Amino acid sequence: MTVLNVIVALVVAGLIAYYVTTINKVAGSYITIIATVAALVLFLVNGDRILANDAIGIISFTVTPLGWFFTVIMLVVYSMVSFFNPYWMKKLLYPASYNMLYLLSLAGTLGVFMADSFVVLFIFWELVVWSSLFIIPFGKSRNASVVYYSMSTFGSFTMLYAIFLLYAKYDSFIIKDVLAMAGNDPGVALAAFILIIIAGLVKLGIFPFHIWLPMAHGNAPDTFSPILSGGLVKLGAFAAILVSTLLPIYEAFDNQPKIFGVPILIYGLMVLGAISIVVGTLMAIAQEDAKRLLAYSSVANAGYILIGILMYNQMAMSGALVHIFAHAVATAAAFLAIAAVSYRTGTTKMSELGGMIHKMPITYIVYLIAIISMAGIPPMAGFISKWLIFQALANQGLFLIAAAMFFGSVGSFLYVFRPLSAVFLGQLKPQHKDVKEAPIGMVIPMVILSGISLFYGIFPISLIDYTAKIEKALGFENVVETSGLVIKGNNGDLHATLITAIFAFGFFIALAIFMIAPKSRKVDLMDTYTAGEFLYTPDLYHYSYSYYAPFERLYQKHPDIVAIYAGLVQRITDFGSFIRYIFFSKRPSTGIFWIVLTMILLMWGEKL
Amino acid sequence: MTITNFLVAFAIAFCGWALQTSVSGITRKTVARIQKRYGPVWFQNFRDIFKLFSKRAVTHGWVYDFGVMMALGGIIGTAMFTPVANIVAFRGYDNFFIFIYLFAVGMLGMAMSAVGSGNPLASIGVMRALTQMVGYEVPFMIIIIALINVESTSSISKLVDIQQASGWNILVMPIGTIVGFICLMGMLGKKPFDTYIAPAELASGPMVEYGGKQLGMLMIMHEVATFVEISLFVNLFLGGGVTIFDFLIKYFLVYTLTSYISNVLGRFKIDQVIKFYYKVPIVLALIQAAMLIIFGWGVR
Repeated sequence: MTVLNVIVALVVAGLIAYYVTTINKVAGSYITIIATVAALVLFLVNGDRILANDAIGIISFTVTPLGWFFTVIMLVVYSMVSFFNPYWMKKLLYPASYNMLYLLSLAGTLGVFMADSFVVLFIFWELVVWSSLFIIPFGKSRNASVVYYSMSTFGSFTMLYAIFLLYAKYDSFIIKDVLAMAGNDPGVALAAFILIIIAGLVKLGIFPFHIWLPMAHGNAPDTFSPILSGGLVKLGAFAAILVSTLLPIYEAFDNQPKIFGVPILIYGLMVLGAISIVVGTLMAIAQEDAKRLLAYSSVANAGYILIGILMYNQMAMSGALVHIFAHAVATAAAFLAIAAVSYRTGTTKMSELGGMIHKMPITYIVYLIAIISMAGIPPMAGFISKWLIFQALANQGLFLIAAAMFFGSVGSFLYVFRPLSAVFLGQLKPQHKDVKEAPIGMVIPMVILSGISLFYGIFPISLIDYTAKIEKALGFENVVETSGLVIKGNNGDLHATLITAIFAFGFFIALAIFMIAPKSRKVDLMDTYTAGEFLYTPDLYHYSYSYYAPFERLYQKHPDIVAIYAGLVQRITDFGSFIRYIFFSKRPSTGIFWIVLTMILLMWGEKL
Repeated sequence: MTITNFLVAFAIAFCGWALQTSVSGITRKTVARIQKRYGPVWFQNFRDIFKLFSKRAVTHGWVYDFGVMMALGGIIGTAMFTPVANIVAFRGYDNFFIFIYLFAVGMLGMAMSAVGSGNPLASIGVMRALTQMVGYEVPFMIIIIALINVESTSSISKLVDIQQASGWNILVMPIGTIVGFICLMGMLGKKPFDTYIAPAELASGPMVEYGGKQLGMLMIMHEVATFVEISLFVNLFLGGGVTIFDFLIKYFLVYTLTSYISNVLGRFKIDQVIKFYYKVPIVLALIQAAMLIIFGWGVR
């Protein structure tokens, strides 16, 4: 099988899934599982030596280590999430279209990652946008889809403009050649870089383009939110890496004034990344809906990824790549855990839940592992990436960016802990007394995702070595180094396996102390200290609404970016009605005026 | 990496616990004498811990127990990396970021266990503890990243070696040391930053439900955590120790100073904690970082 065959096969499978679903809903969703898992196995077995068949006319593919890395991340997310599809068939309004679009969007992402020329990249980029666009309104809101599409289109148009600009200049669509040539011409490089990176920023959800994430992630069907956050957002990171490494940015913008040795444009983009981290963190802390909370956390994490990419050295790039992987896996697991809770209870509002750990212990552990990775705590993969990015930041001395990053890093403890506390811990609500653990078909993929997070947190070396390979392919002079189980940093070494061993050692000491001491007596959750009051309603004895109220109050009156966009929308609407008033008026005099004017202009002819 | 390293590391963690439990006992005594009280004996904390282990306790479910074990395990693990004078268990791997993040495992475990008890007072306590963390961690990390930048190493034992060769960091970066000390007060939860325990408002916050062995383990965890935090400050700013006595004197002085300051101050409200940290220490931290990184003042 070649890449082209896989993509064609996925499109065909999508069409088959559509027709099968119209006959039998569940059977159709099984096709999505089979197709995605088969594609994943194929890519894992062949590795990055998989052939790219570039037979069909202008559509040509090439397999790079970078593309393969992204493809595998995407396939892992898609294949694991697809196990949830059968359970959602009854809930969706158009299950047949959902299954088809699910596979089409996957085909689109593969096309983007393997694209050889800009035209192919753009076509498949649009395929992803269009297929995901129609899935989002299957959830709670149509408006979310409109915002998502408007934002995406803005990015797509700037990219398209860059593509035509480069084609007009260099008469080629081949990504590698065109960008390398543009790199020698600072003016073109600047225009192309800004136009393409905007597409990346929009997709990643960097401030001020971040508003589509909470709307789309929060309102999409529960099974598609993990795809959006873990998968499609990462397309933006791919575009950003592509344009920054192939130019390459630090050589192309060498003539710009520098701040801390960073060209001013790049520093400005890093500041946008830093703002995204701060805004994402603060907004995530204030959310009441678990899915919107995770969506804002994706905004914050996109900031880390962008900063890692733009620092453009081996540690930071490796950190960004590992973070893309770690965050994709962790956020998918977290969204799936919330989806499982939503499947059993029918809500994702945190204040309507509580004590789910007593009914869904495995889902709880999955969520716990996911948040440990998202907060960057060992022994999970998220720690490795944060460590790498911090190394690079400390080395370059970008302390203002670092301050934002530390704020996001500590702030992430706050927002990831909130669903843990409000949804899974605390008092169980009486109406959830009969809730059961998620069905086995949901538990398996969630456990696999947790296992991946844990495995690469303990043994990150193979992952780091692959990022070194990607860096070599992208033309880095130095690549991140490892020896044995140790990652070599600029200012210190990281032995992830040792850290895990030490933690396990500490844990066993604690376990031993616990076992030696006398056994405890199990008591009910309501049998707690109440300062002498008698309480009988668990609902009222669960702290979950407006969790960080004292902290939220400090920034309650923050300026809202949505208001600026709303103002923009109003301007465009006004302009539209003005145009309509002038050109499409119902008054006959206006119509006759335009006809006469057109006639005069026509008769005047070329002399005008 | 041999078994000896692990034994040395465990010895550090154990002695650290014994040391801190004794030191806090001594401080209780001296504070009492200052306040014209008699005060408990210096080994009162040992008595309390062993007494608690002999009692039969209650449990509120498996996460209540598991969280306690995770908390103690994470903190013991962090203590095992701590360099004490010239005794370093894992030389070269005692990375600063490990201290911050492995420590967080312990904190997460405790938070999880406390909320798992089902008592809303515990949840409010955890909320306050996490909010406070946002306050003190950021200025502290800014100082450290400036330090790492100028010394090109994030290994604590190497930073200690550099200081012993060419002057302590308290002389090189006095503003940074002040910030570090204020943040240390926050980490230790000493007044005015004891908002998350606040016995009179929250019935001891996260600790409200604990008794018996779970409380005993959390007390051990508290002592070990204090040991890690004070050692971190001594190692980062006061040049660690050439000999173990040197280290112990500095350790004792820093802990006693925090306790005495704590005893003459009142308690902040939680929003005041955040406002304070984002007004004074963070500005000082940024000034110090700019002095080191941009102007190179104090770079050896």
